[in-house]
Amino acid sequence: MVIIKRKQLTWMEKAYLPEVIRGLRITLGKMFQKPSTRQYPEDPLITTEVTRGQPRLVVNEDSTIRCVSCGLCEIACPAYAITIDGQETDRMIEREPEKFEIDFLRCILCGFCEEACPKEAIMMSDELELADTSRQGLIYGLDKLKRPVSALKKRIAYINKINDRWRTSSST
Amino acid sequence: MTVLLATILKVVVIFGALISAAGISTLAERRVSAWIQHRIGPNRVGPFGVLQPLADGIKFIFKEEFVPEGANRWLFILAPALSAAAALMSVAVIPFGGLITEIDGTPILMSIADLDIGALWVVAIGGLGIYGVILGGWASNSKYSLFGGLRATAQMISYELSMILCILAVVAMSDTLNLREIVNLQDSADSRCFGFLPGWNIFYQPLAFVLFVICTFAETNRHPFDFAECESELVGGFHTEYSSMKFALFFIGEYCAMIVMSCMTVTLFLGGFSVPYWSEAPFLIGLASFLLKVTFFMFLFLWVRWSLPRFRYDQLMNLGWKVFLPLALVNILLTGLAVSL
Amino acid sequence: MANLLFYLMGLGAVIGSLLVVTSKNPITSVLSLLGTFFCLATIYLLAGFQFLAAAQILVYGGAIMVLFLFVVMLLNLGHPEEGSGLEFMNKRRMPFAFAASAMLIVLTFAGVLGQGSAPGAVELAHMATIGDLAGLMFGSFLLPFEAASILLMGAAVAVIVLAKRERTQAVER
Repeated sequence: MVIIKRKQLTWMEKAYLPEVIRGLRITLGKMFQKPSTRQYPEDPLITTEVTRGQPRLVVNEDSTIRCVSCGLCEIACPAYAITIDGQETDRMIEREPEKFEIDFLRCILCGFCEEACPKEAIMMSDELELADTSRQGLIYGLDKLKRPVSALKKRIAYINKINDRWRTSSST
Repeated sequence: MTVLLATILKVVVIFGALISAAGISTLAERRVSAWIQHRIGPNRVGPFGVLQPLADGIKFIFKEEFVPEGANRWLFILAPALSAAAALMSVAVIPFGGLITEIDGTPILMSIADLDIGALWVVAIGGLGIYGVILGGWASNSKYSLFGGLRATAQMISYELSMILCILAVVAMSDTLNLREIVNLQDSADSRCFGFLPGWNIFYQPLAFVLFVICTFAETNRHPFDFAECESELVGGFHTEYSSMKFALFFIGEYCAMIVMSCMTVTLFLGGFSVPYWSEAPFLIGLASFLLKVTFFMFLFLWVRWSLPRFRYDQLMNLGWKVFLPLALVNILLTGLAVSL
Repeated sequence: MANLLFYLMGLGAVIGSLLVVTSKNPITSVLSLLGTFFCLATIYLLAGFQFLAAAQILVYGGAIMVLFLFVVMLLNLGHPEEGSGLEFMNKRRMPFAFAASAMLIVLTFAGVLGQGSAPGAVELAHMATIGDLAGLMFGSFLLPFEAASILLMGAAVAVIVLAKRERTQAVER
């Protein structure tokens, strides 16, 4: 059993009105402070390399896609949001995606695809805005997913850093 | 003929202004609550969000009309109308300003009706607004609504007593129930308090003023006495089952009642449309002074709402019957003594 | 205009009071009574008794009827069984009801016909304003006024005592 000792109120506190005025003074003070709200569309969210936005496909500087359509991200995806059809190519890597679709109605932005990817080909970008008037419009194909490597450089560096730490610590 | 025309014009202007003021108050409520909570509030519809009430009104009109099963249909529809009508009617005797102009020797005053029983009229008609709450609560066939209605009833009756006693103290001092005469008495130079303060009743009746202001909070079902709504316990209290324009009417009624109560406070205790140290000020300046004072009390309503927690229901009843009523009675006794001496 | 309003309000008052005693639903009864009071208040206003009208609305409309509604809702009388509201009018009670009504009618007509002939009656024109009314109440009629208030106070105390006794007996049983 817990016995709670209530604070003995002084006469002034029992009169209630002075305390009411004290409370009103505090709220009046708050009124003239700067609001902590962000006006979203005009003043967008600050993103960093840690921001886990929508996944995007990395395109090399010679405008070839890094993805080899191995299907690991497709398997890793817990929401079954990724669909890949591969095809052959004359490049060194021999395979590239013919169709790469991410259904953003299903995607939960977990970043498992990024972790699963052996080629640093799918990366979580800092793009967060996701709105459309149709369901079909939210199934992104290759054309909408491709991003040049320069746009995702920060994220790739960050992931490498994290992975390095992980590798060294698990060596024991 | 022109006098009749002027009267009709006054009715239209005052009612129109009251309803628009109620709309603006809903916006003010949201903006002030936002400022107090470090937010910005609705600022998208029109400059600074001033058209937000209009947008809300349009939204309300297009919402589905809904009458719950088992509800008493007619009373369910009648209740919000009563609530709004009572609040609108009680504004009729408030003197907003002094003399506007004279037509054929008839003075045109800035109030719809200049009744001899003005102070009584506001309390009598304004008190009828409670029927909207009770009937709405009962007709909804919902236990939350019924509880809200019952609580509002007991609360209103308890606090109306103290409120009338506070008004009576002022009336006993002024020797009239006519609100315009009460204002004129406070305006005159020889009623100055201690010779230098303006002759407002707040300086003669500070206790009655404090009691009256707190009673207006209870009478209009506002925080910290909003037991008729009481979101955390009763969902929405008497208007739980209401939707669409019927819901909006309840809100118009509530805000109009707040405005009327602010007007009453200003008229009875703060010299109404008079300007301190400037007896018989011009019409527009008097009107501006009146509106300024009313705005302050409207702000007080909002300010208190977003600052104080709600009372417990038994605390409310104890406060009403064991503190306010005795204090008001002592006050009126002292006033009677002072007047007769 | 004023005459028309008077007859309209009179009609409203009569219909309202009939609805009070005949309607099955207590809530309807209470509301019709409220309507009757409003009609009466309007008639007072037409006759020039502003204070009386306001007091009627304030006391009866604003307070007493709210209490009635409160009680009806608290006891949940809002959903009555089938049956006429006139059931209490059985044969044994009927003569008393008629006698009481006849008495009331006689008194009313006596009042109307012999205006001002009752002992202590005041000319209507002498109580139009609040000042006149106050002068009568606290001046020439101070004793009856205070006696009435003491009587009402006694009645209120008696009601509380009666209600309380019944309750303790019920607990003992």
